[in-house]
Amino acid sequence: MKHLSKIAFGQKNLIALLVVSSVLIGMMILGQAYFFVDIIERIYLQEEPFEGVFLLLAGLLLVIIGRALLTHVNGWAGVKIASEAKRDLRDSLLAKYSRNPIQASLQGQSGQKVSVLMDAVDEVDPYFSSYIPQIIQSAIVPVMILVIVFTQHLYSGLIIVVTAPFIPFFMAIIGMKTKDKSEEQMDKLAAFSGQFLDTLQGLTTLKLFGQSSHQKQKIRKSSIDFREATMEVLKIAFVSSFMMELISMLSIGLIALEIAIQLVVYENISFFTAFFILILAPEFFSGLKDLASAFHTGRGSAGAAEKVQGELDEPEVSVCWGNQELYNEGRPPHIELENLSFSYGQDSFALHHISTIIPSYGQIAIVGRSGSGKTTLLHLLAGLMNPQEGAIIVNGQPLSDYKEQDWFDQLSYISQQPYLFSGSIAENIAIGGKDNPSRMNIDKAARKAGLANLIDSLESGLDTPVGEAGRGLSGGEQQRVAIARAFLKQPAVILFDEPTTGLDLQTERIMQQSIKELARTSTVITVAHRLHTIKQADQILFLDDGELAGQGTHGDLIESISEYRQMVSVQQGSDTK
Amino acid sequence: MKDLFMVVKLVVREKRDILLSILFGFLAGITAVGLFGASGYLVSKAALIPPLYTLILVVSFVKLLGFIRAISRYIERYVSHRATFTILSHLRVSFYEKLEPLAPRIFQKYRSGDLLARIVGDVESLQNFFLRVFYPPIVLLIVFLFTIIFTTFYSLSIALVLLGGLIITALMVPLLFAMRQRKIEGQVREVRGVLSTETTELLYGFRDLKIYRKLAEKENQLKGSSDYYIREQEKVGIHASLSQAMNSLASLVASWVVLSLGAYLVAEGQLKGIFLAMLVMISLTVFENVTPMAVFPIHLEDSRRAANRLFSVVHTNSEATQSNQASIQLQEQQGLAIDMHEVSFTFPDEVRSTLKNVSLHLPAGSKTAIVGPSGSGKSTLLQLLLKIQMEYTGKVEVGGTSLDSLDQESLWGHTNVVLQENHFFFGTIRENLMLAGDDLMDRQLEEALEKVKLHHIHLTDSVLEKGENLSGGEKQRLAIARALLRSKSLWVLDEPTSSVDALTETTIYQHLFEAAESDTLIVVSHRLTGLEHMDKIVVMEHGETVEEGTFNELMDKRGYFYQMKQIEKSVFM
Repeated sequence: MKHLSKIAFGQKNLIALLVVSSVLIGMMILGQAYFFVDIIERIYLQEEPFEGVFLLLAGLLLVIIGRALLTHVNGWAGVKIASEAKRDLRDSLLAKYSRNPIQASLQGQSGQKVSVLMDAVDEVDPYFSSYIPQIIQSAIVPVMILVIVFTQHLYSGLIIVVTAPFIPFFMAIIGMKTKDKSEEQMDKLAAFSGQFLDTLQGLTTLKLFGQSSHQKQKIRKSSIDFREATMEVLKIAFVSSFMMELISMLSIGLIALEIAIQLVVYENISFFTAFFILILAPEFFSGLKDLASAFHTGRGSAGAAEKVQGELDEPEVSVCWGNQELYNEGRPPHIELENLSFSYGQDSFALHHISTIIPSYGQIAIVGRSGSGKTTLLHLLAGLMNPQEGAIIVNGQPLSDYKEQDWFDQLSYISQQPYLFSGSIAENIAIGGKDNPSRMNIDKAARKAGLANLIDSLESGLDTPVGEAGRGLSGGEQQRVAIARAFLKQPAVILFDEPTTGLDLQTERIMQQSIKELARTSTVITVAHRLHTIKQADQILFLDDGELAGQGTHGDLIESISEYRQMVSVQQGSDTK
Repeated sequence: MKDLFMVVKLVVREKRDILLSILFGFLAGITAVGLFGASGYLVSKAALIPPLYTLILVVSFVKLLGFIRAISRYIERYVSHRATFTILSHLRVSFYEKLEPLAPRIFQKYRSGDLLARIVGDVESLQNFFLRVFYPPIVLLIVFLFTIIFTTFYSLSIALVLLGGLIITALMVPLLFAMRQRKIEGQVREVRGVLSTETTELLYGFRDLKIYRKLAEKENQLKGSSDYYIREQEKVGIHASLSQAMNSLASLVASWVVLSLGAYLVAEGQLKGIFLAMLVMISLTVFENVTPMAVFPIHLEDSRRAANRLFSVVHTNSEATQSNQASIQLQEQQGLAIDMHEVSFTFPDEVRSTLKNVSLHLPAGSKTAIVGPSGSGKSTLLQLLLKIQMEYTGKVEVGGTSLDSLDQESLWGHTNVVLQENHFFFGTIRENLMLAGDDLMDRQLEEALEKVKLHHIHLTDSVLEKGENLSGGEKQRLAIARALLRSKSLWVLDEPTSSVDALTETTIYQHLFEAAESDTLIVVSHRLTGLEHMDKIVVMEHGETVEEGTFNELMDKRGYFYQMKQIEKSVFM
C-alpha cells in the first residue's frame, strides 16, 4: 500500500490536477445548493416572477454542467495515473524478468510469473483509478461543506462535528471484528472454487470409474455450506453500513429538528440558511460514505500490489558482463574453470569447487546422477548464471570481462526441450543465425538437420507456422530444429543437453551425425546420457552431489573411480535383467 | 443473449428471495425519496411559522423514514446476497450436469488446462448478474413509478419531466455508451491475448532467447505490447468515466428542469409555493437511484460474455453427444478381443494424421505392449480404444462388437484404465481409492497400496487438489492401485510406470500380470525393459505400426525394436 501511494503521489501533476478539480467540485456542490435554495426562496417566499430567477437558473445549469465535467476530469486523471503506474510496474517486472529469470523458469514458476505480470498488475488498477481520486475528493469536499455550514449556522456545524466521528468509530470497531474473519472467508472462497475446479479437472477419472453422478450432490452441498458461512461474515459487514446509514440519518434528522425549532420558535435563522444547510448535510455524509467504499476498493488492490512488490523484491543474481571483445581466432576458445562454486541459496543445491580445462575442439561429457549438478554446470558455462566463487576463464580472461554479445555469438545451446517461438519453421531456424541469414542457408541447415521430409510433407514447407511452444512438432522434430539452428550459426562452442529417451531412431541418428559434424569446427560440451557419447569424449567430468568426483576418459574413470564404475555397471546390469 | 436467458432461468428459481430483495430495495428507495421530500416540505412549512406540533410531527416522520430506510437497505443486502450464493450453486450444478456427459472428450478438444479455470472464473463473475443486472432495474422502475404517481397529485407536467428523465438517464445514456464500450472492450481483450502470449514466450523461451540474443528485442516488443494494452485499457477507463459523468449530468439536468418548471408554475400560480422545495428534493433524490445504471451495461456485458463462454463450451460439443447413439452394452466375459482394421485418425486443426492405417489383432486374454518414440501415436491409439477420440476412419471391434455401437459407459465399466495423467481429488487417500468401488474394505485398500509399494502412505493421509502433494511416481502407483482394486477384464495402461524406478516397476508388473491373468491387457511403454513376457510387442513410428512380434522375434529380426533397444542400453540415467 505504502509503495502504491508513493507511485501515485509521485505523479505530481496529475495529483495536483485531482486536488484542484476536487476543490472545484466542492465549489460546484456548494454553488448548486446555493442556486437551488436561492431560486426556491425567491419564487416561494418572495414571490418573484419567473423572469426574476432566469439568470439564477442559467447559473445553476452552468454549475451542474461544471460539476459533471469536473467529475469526468477526476475520472480521467485517475485513469491516467493508473496507466502510468501499471506501465511502471510492468516495465520493472519485465526488466527484472529479462535480467535473470532462469532460476525461476527452472523452478517451474513461469506460469505464476505470467500471472503476476498480467493479472496482478491489472488488479492494482482500481487503487489508482478509483481509490486515489476518491480519497482526495473525500478529504476536500466534506471539509469545504463543513466550513460553509459553520459559517452559516454554528449549531448545525456542531451537530455534524459531534456525530460524524461516530462513523469511523463504528466502522473501526466492526472492521476490527470482521477483518480477520472476512479475510479467512476470502481464503475459503479461493479454496472453494479450487475444489470445484478440482472436480471439473478430474471429470475424466470420475467418468472412467463411473462415479460422476455422485458429484452433483456434492457440489450442491458444498455450495450451500459455503453460502451459509459467507452470509455469517457478510451479515457483520452489512451491519457496518447499516450503522453508518443510521448515524447519518440521525444526524440529518437532528439538524432538521434543530433548524425547525430555530426557524419557528426563535425565528433567528432565515429560510435560506435553513434550506441551504438541509441540502448540504446529506452531501457531507455521502462524501464520507464514498470514502468508506473507496477504502474497500483500496484494500482489494493491496493483495495484488503485495504480489507485484514481492516479485520485485525477490533477490536477483544478475549476470555481469564486461567490455572486452572476444575475437574469433579461427578456432574455438580455450576455456578453464577455476574453482567454480554456485548455490541456489542456503540449504539448497550447490556446486562446489569445480576446476578443469576445456581445450579448443575438446569433446567434453558431463556425467552424473540426476540432481548431481550437470545442468547447473552447463548453465554456468553458458553464461546464463554467475558463479558465486571462482571463474570461467576464456582465452586467459574471465568470461565476465567479455561483451555479452561476443560470447553468445559463438555459442549454441541445444537443450532437451528446445523452445519454439510462434512463427514459421524458417523463422525458428533463422533465430540461430547472425543477422538475416539467406533463405537458401536456412533451407540448407534444415535439410542437414534431417528436416527435409517434414518440410516437404507440409503444404507451406518452411513457412508452416509452429504455434505457441512449438505445438504440432514432435519432440524429435523440435530437437532437429535446434540442430538446424546450430548448423546455421556455426558456433565455436556447443552446449548440448543430450535427450534421455523418447526420440525416434531417425532423430537419434541425425543427432549423432550432426554433433559429430559440428564438433569438427567447435568445442562440444555435452550433458551425456548415452554410453557411446561418453566413450567418445576426450574428457569426462564426473559429478557427484555437486562435486567434481573425477575427470578423465571413460577408461580412466572406470579404473580409478569406484562410484563411476558402479554407476556404469548398474546401468548395464538393470538392462540385462 | 440466449445463454443469459439460461442464467435467468436459474435465477428465477429463487422466487422468494428475489421478491424480498425487490420489496426491500423498493422500500429503501422510496423511503429515501419520502425522507428528502418531507424535509423539503418541512423547511418550507417552517418558514411560514406554523404551530410547533405540526413540525414535530413532520420531523418524527422524517426520522422514522430514515430508520426504515436503513433497515430496509440492510435486509435487501442480506437477502440479495443470499440469493446470489444460492444461484451460484445452481449454476455450478447445472453446468456440471451439462459438462459431465461431454467428458472426457471435451478435454481433448481444449488441450489447455486453463479452460476449466476460466469456467470457474466465469461462474464466479456471474454473481454480479443477480446483484447488479437482474433486480436493481426492477427496483428502480417501481420506485420511479410510485414517485411519479405521487408527483401527479401536485403537477402532471413535473411528473412527466421525471418520466422523461428516467428514460434518458436509465435507458438512453447507458445504451449509447454501452454500444461503444462493447467495441473498445473487444479490442482490449485481443491486445491482452497478444501480451499474455508474448510474456509466456519470454519466460518459457528465456534460455534460447538469451543465447540467440533476441532477449532485448523481445523485451522491447513486450514493452510495446504492454503499452498498447494499457492505452487500450485507458480508453475503456476514460470512456466509463465519461459515461458516468454524462449520466449524473443528465439526472441533475432533469432536476434542473423540475426546478425551472416548478418555479414557472408557482410564478403562474398553478402550483403552491410550499411544494416547490419538496418536489425539487424528490427529484434530486429519486435520480440518485439511477447512478448505478451507468455501470449497468458493463455488468450486463460481463455477464453476457461469461454466460456465453460458459455455455458455448457445452454447446459446441452437443453434436458429439448426439452421434453417441451407441447403446450396445458389453457382456460380462473373461477377456475381450480387440481388432483394429485400417484405422486412421487426425486431430482436428492438424494437418498431419496421428494414426495411419493401423491394423491390430489382440486376442482375448492376450498381453500387448505398444512401444515407440514420443509422438508416434501410442497414446492416441489408446484414446480411440477408450472412445475418448471418436472421429476415426477404419474399423475397431471390442469383444466382437463394433466400437461405434458400443456404449461408452459400458466400455469403461469393463476397463481398468491408468492414463498418463491421473487425477487425484482433494480429500484423503481412502476417498481417492474408493473411486474403484464403494464397498471396498480398508484391508483391501491397504493390500493394494502394499502391492504398489506405497507402504509409507496411509489411508487417512490427505490429498490436495490434483494430488499436488504427491510425487509423480506416487501418483502413478496410486493410479495402479486404483486399477488393481477395480479388477475389470480389460486393462488399458498408458505409460503407467514412467516415473517409477526400475526395481519397483518390476514388482508392480508382477502384480499386474497376476491380477490380469485371464484378462486382455494393453500397455503403452516408453521403456523397453520387462517386455519379454508380453504376448506381443507393437512398435509404432509416425502413427504407423512398423513392427510387431514377441520380444525374441523382434530382437532376432534386428529391426527397429532391436535398434531402439541398443540405444536404450547405452542410455545413462
